[in-house]
Amino acid sequence: MTYKRWEPYAYIAPVLVLFAVFFIFPFFYSLFISFNDWNILTGGKIFVGLKNYRTLFASKIFGLSIRNTLLYVFTQMPCSVILGFLYAVLVEKSGRAKVVYRLFFFIPVVISVSAASLSFLTIFNTMHGPLNTFLKLFGITGPNWLNAPESALPAIIIIGVWQSFGYNVILYMSGLKQIDGQLYEAADLDGASALRKTVSITLPLLSPVSFFVVVITTLSSFQVFATVQILTNGGPNNASTVWVFYIWREAFRYFETSTASSAATLLFVFMLAATFVLVRHFQKTVFYK
Amino acid sequence: MYHSRFSRLVLHIVLGLTACIVVFPFLWMLTVSFSEQSSVLNRVLIIFPSTWNIEGYKEVFRQTPYFRWFLNSSFITILLTTLQLVFGIFAAYALSRFTFPGRELLFFLVLCTMMIPPQAIMLPSYMVITSFGWVNSYWGLVMPNIAKGYVIFMLRQFFLQIPRQLDEASQIDGCNSLQTLYHVYLVSALPAIISVTLIQFVRNWNDYYWALVVITEKLKLTLPVAIVTFRDETLVRWVPTMAAAVLSVIPVVLLYLFGQRYFLETNLASGTK
Repeated sequence: MTYKRWEPYAYIAPVLVLFAVFFIFPFFYSLFISFNDWNILTGGKIFVGLKNYRTLFASKIFGLSIRNTLLYVFTQMPCSVILGFLYAVLVEKSGRAKVVYRLFFFIPVVISVSAASLSFLTIFNTMHGPLNTFLKLFGITGPNWLNAPESALPAIIIIGVWQSFGYNVILYMSGLKQIDGQLYEAADLDGASALRKTVSITLPLLSPVSFFVVVITTLSSFQVFATVQILTNGGPNNASTVWVFYIWREAFRYFETSTASSAATLLFVFMLAATFVLVRHFQKTVFYK
Repeated sequence: MYHSRFSRLVLHIVLGLTACIVVFPFLWMLTVSFSEQSSVLNRVLIIFPSTWNIEGYKEVFRQTPYFRWFLNSSFITILLTTLQLVFGIFAAYALSRFTFPGRELLFFLVLCTMMIPPQAIMLPSYMVITSFGWVNSYWGLVMPNIAKGYVIFMLRQFFLQIPRQLDEASQIDGCNSLQTLYHVYLVSALPAIISVTLIQFVRNWNDYYWALVVITEKLKLTLPVAIVTFRDETLVRWVPTMAAAVLSVIPVVLLYLFGQRYFLETNLASGTK
């Protein structure tokens, strides 16, 4: 290739400058604030070492927000991935109607969280909402969804699954398309059952897709925020306060800059760790052609 | 398994029911928005209202600067999407075609920006835009979001698939690197570029958390935040709230229906390769 040495740098420089100002700098700045006692209103700051982190770990509400986040991630993610796989297989089998189903399943992905949340606000309404009305048909008294501590988080999880599984359906469908049909024919000749074919052919061959799906879904489920902020505002009694919501509330409602920065730094470290664990785990199990 | 007629029928029933459940929140929003305030609470599970009523929509336009919000959203989304694409194309071009010291490190940086949740750095980012005097201004909304890891990553994947011979040929024809980018890369990756553009358009249109933090003045709000503040003002009266929500999703839904091919086919598979 004949190009001048500076050319690639010129192409990437604008993006690099923006990353530096709006990504790298804020990250280190956040780290810096987390070791200081800082009042955003007065502007005063003192170096306090790990004090903010100790306060954070002693805080009951922060502990609760981590618990809720983990509950959210470990229920929403598996549901979303399994449903994504299941429906990808079913939709693939549905012949010409495939296009229509796929179109429908992806709709929640394109609709804004805020509009969807407003719709769910009425759907989960205890007295007049369609969900509880529907349950009543079967003689079930529905819970006080968003207003009760035990059902607020499950409601948020249901919305999270609704929002995300359609994306996974599409990813799995694109993976299924790449599997050689002859493998199934050979298995049919050997008299393999449908379950056997799924376990021995489909799942191993889809493992790179599964890896991608699990990582993407996990990372995005850690970021759950808008549904909580709009529907429950973290309540009732912090029953649905999640990590990102906690950071936002500390920073922009209580103006506790240092606490918010420490919580944000921990989130960052945790996400990085989660990514590494996932990558390591899947490197052992993923089957590549 | 799908040889028998019966299992085919079961399959379509299961898929059809699920599809209904999946679109229900959207249909519900639509039908409530056309109901009468009084009938909404008495309605059981009947999906379609008995009479079509546009009071809710009238109320939205009467009580809110809806048209202004719509223009805000359109302006921000179009501007931001264009800038994301232009900057992204140049960066992806550098990362896919050229070999230069620091390339791997830069690519790693791009991956990092994709992995780390924006919320983890929202507070210092907010301080950065405060120091520029961009709080409550569109600069603050646009500038931090121009460089997008996702755009660069995706475009790079597509650029890497373009045969090298093509740009060697264009060089022999006397193209400089900018001309090669235009004549070879943009032309060959056009469907992919359209996909990424549409996806970013939808994401920018839907952006909630950053707009919530940056914009405080009512007239400057974008739709996703505006409809939530409108809900608070109406004290959660269902009909006008749903009308506002429906109006805010219409552009995206239309775009999706007309450009479904680009949303569902071209783009996503590349991420798994």
